[in-house]
Amino acid sequence: MKRGGLQNYIIRRLIYAFLIAFGVVTITFILLRIGPSSPADKYLANISARTQNPARVIEAVEARYGLDKPVIQQYFDYLVNLARGDWGWSFSTSLPVIELIRRHWIYSFQLILLSMLFASSLGILIGIYSAVKQYTRTDYIATFFSFIGISIPNFWLGIMLILVFSVQLGWFKTYYDTGLPMFSLANLKALILPVITLGTGMMAGYTRYARSSTLDNLRKDFVKTARAKGLPERVVIGKHVFRNAILPIITIIMFDLAGVVFGGAYLTEIIFGIPGLGRVSFNAIFANDYPVVITITLIGAMVVLLTNLTTDIVYTWLDPRIRYD
Amino acid sequence: MAIRRISDIFGGRRHLLFSGLLLVLLFVFLLDLLVIDHIFGPFVYFYLFFTLLIIFYGIYPLYVNRRLTRYYWERTKRHRLAVIGLSFIIFLVAVAILGPFLTQDPTEVDFPNKNLPPVGFSAEQAIYDRNTGNFITTETPGTWHHPLGTDDKGRDMLAMLVSGTRISLQVGLMATLIAIFIGLIMGVVSAYLGGWADNALMRFTDIMMTFPFFLLLVFIVFIFGPSLWFIILAIGLTGWTGTARLVRSEALSLRTRDFIMASKSLGASDRRIVFRHLIPNVLSSVIVIATLSIPGVILAEAALSFIGLGDPTVTSWGLVLHAGQRSLDTAWWIAVEPGIMLFLTVLAFNFLGDGIRDAFDPRSQV
Repeated sequence: MKRGGLQNYIIRRLIYAFLIAFGVVTITFILLRIGPSSPADKYLANISARTQNPARVIEAVEARYGLDKPVIQQYFDYLVNLARGDWGWSFSTSLPVIELIRRHWIYSFQLILLSMLFASSLGILIGIYSAVKQYTRTDYIATFFSFIGISIPNFWLGIMLILVFSVQLGWFKTYYDTGLPMFSLANLKALILPVITLGTGMMAGYTRYARSSTLDNLRKDFVKTARAKGLPERVVIGKHVFRNAILPIITIIMFDLAGVVFGGAYLTEIIFGIPGLGRVSFNAIFANDYPVVITITLIGAMVVLLTNLTTDIVYTWLDPRIRYD
Repeated sequence: MAIRRISDIFGGRRHLLFSGLLLVLLFVFLLDLLVIDHIFGPFVYFYLFFTLLIIFYGIYPLYVNRRLTRYYWERTKRHRLAVIGLSFIIFLVAVAILGPFLTQDPTEVDFPNKNLPPVGFSAEQAIYDRNTGNFITTETPGTWHHPLGTDDKGRDMLAMLVSGTRISLQVGLMATLIAIFIGLIMGVVSAYLGGWADNALMRFTDIMMTFPFFLLLVFIVFIFGPSLWFIILAIGLTGWTGTARLVRSEALSLRTRDFIMASKSLGASDRRIVFRHLIPNVLSSVIVIATLSIPGVILAEAALSFIGLGDPTVTSWGLVLHAGQRSLDTAWWIAVEPGIMLFLTVLAFNFLGDGIRDAFDPRSQV
């Protein structure tokens, strides 16, 4: 192995991530262009109620947002503005989009973080336990529940939780209270139902992965060696098997962000009225506030890009068996 | 004997016959669309297409290779959950096809009979009394006229669920078919051409995979507007990335296998290798991934309708759920019933997909 190989690898990955980001931005621009209604129309839908002369408003809007320029010019403006952090003006909330994001991202962040902690810790534990007790009743019950957890639609689960625990039993509020301080027990309590809603599907998935990954590792020679050495089972499982079984699961957890977590968080925020980015994007859609919708879609893609990048790099560092050339 | 005769007529020219029928179908469809002005909706043509596809590439090969069919069936059958899943899916298909003829009109509004509970349940309702001008609370029992109750506009829940079954299966099958088709082409082309074409296609796949699936879907629906056709197309056009990667990696490993090498050295053309060896050999994994991706597609459409971004003109499960969320404290069944259907459908496809995966993978022990 060459010296500095890891450094080169990281640089190459960074350049690659930059190109992907460029592609992502380009695709949103193309989608926006080929859509049936131009951005000016969407602006107009909001303003026309207040004006007598729509044609002049269109002209003014087009001039204001550079929509009268050639498409190539618009494309470059779009790129430059995004890079400079000038993400447009949200007219439904009368704020710059970046300010809107700054106020609301924390709500999504806390929901996603807590759900992932809940899902991964519990899922991995149950999975490993179920693999160690393979073909016992515990294993069957765990497998059965993981099947149910994977199949239950998370938005429906959210509604059912509200129905049972908020409407019937009255233990929780049906709506998230935004006045609560971020680091308080009351806030944690308000997040219990949303975290279960978002986390159950993920947890079930991790249970299955952890189970099969542990089973794979239990058959390996190093486990036999460890047992032959006379190590207690606690050490064999807790150290030798666990460390090897956990690596592929970490990739899956990171990869889940793109497919499962963002979609789930979007729906969970809408159901429980949590004012995170999903809720903001949802409100913006019905207000035709397109700069907000684009920005949040792009933020989602960028977060996925960054986590994938980090996972790749951390992984090569953690696991010396991975070649990076 | 009968098998021999059918395969004689059918066998060698199967693809030709299929393409011919497809062209006729396309011609009639365009004629209907452009000249005669919509005698049948586009869905009818899709069903015809789907039936042809199933007969030519599903039932016919299974019938001709009965020994292999029995082998797969035996392997799938050992998976008891897969059989349960398959039975439920067949039941759903029957409901989707026959149900609408047997139930009431799912869009018929009937305010005097609103918020009726399902049979066997009763619910408290505040009813306005004309004589006294007060609201009186009465206990309303469910009636057999609306076995699953009615919603807040008096529409029959059973009829709405049946209509939702149809929509969900349509979306699930069509969008998956589109996605699988694109993924198959992308994967095979990319693996077979290699070089810069492979590079370009896979980088494009990477870009598409970077978008969070649901966010991209919401973004597309926001831009292009919510019609059922468009939602199906949008899911199909964004959901192919996993298939493309899988097919590419499988095709890459197949390309260096002995039987393809042998075929090449015997002078087989690229076209023959791709259609005769590559595609049939990746098809089993494609079928598995298709079955396992149907539930995700159904859920995506339901989620879109649920947040109010679905097609407002079709009664889908998500739309009923959307209405149900608003009346949780007065009529719980509106939110419960479509969710149960959704849950069972997803569960059934997951069971079936797992069973098929085990059946197609000779290394796995059931």
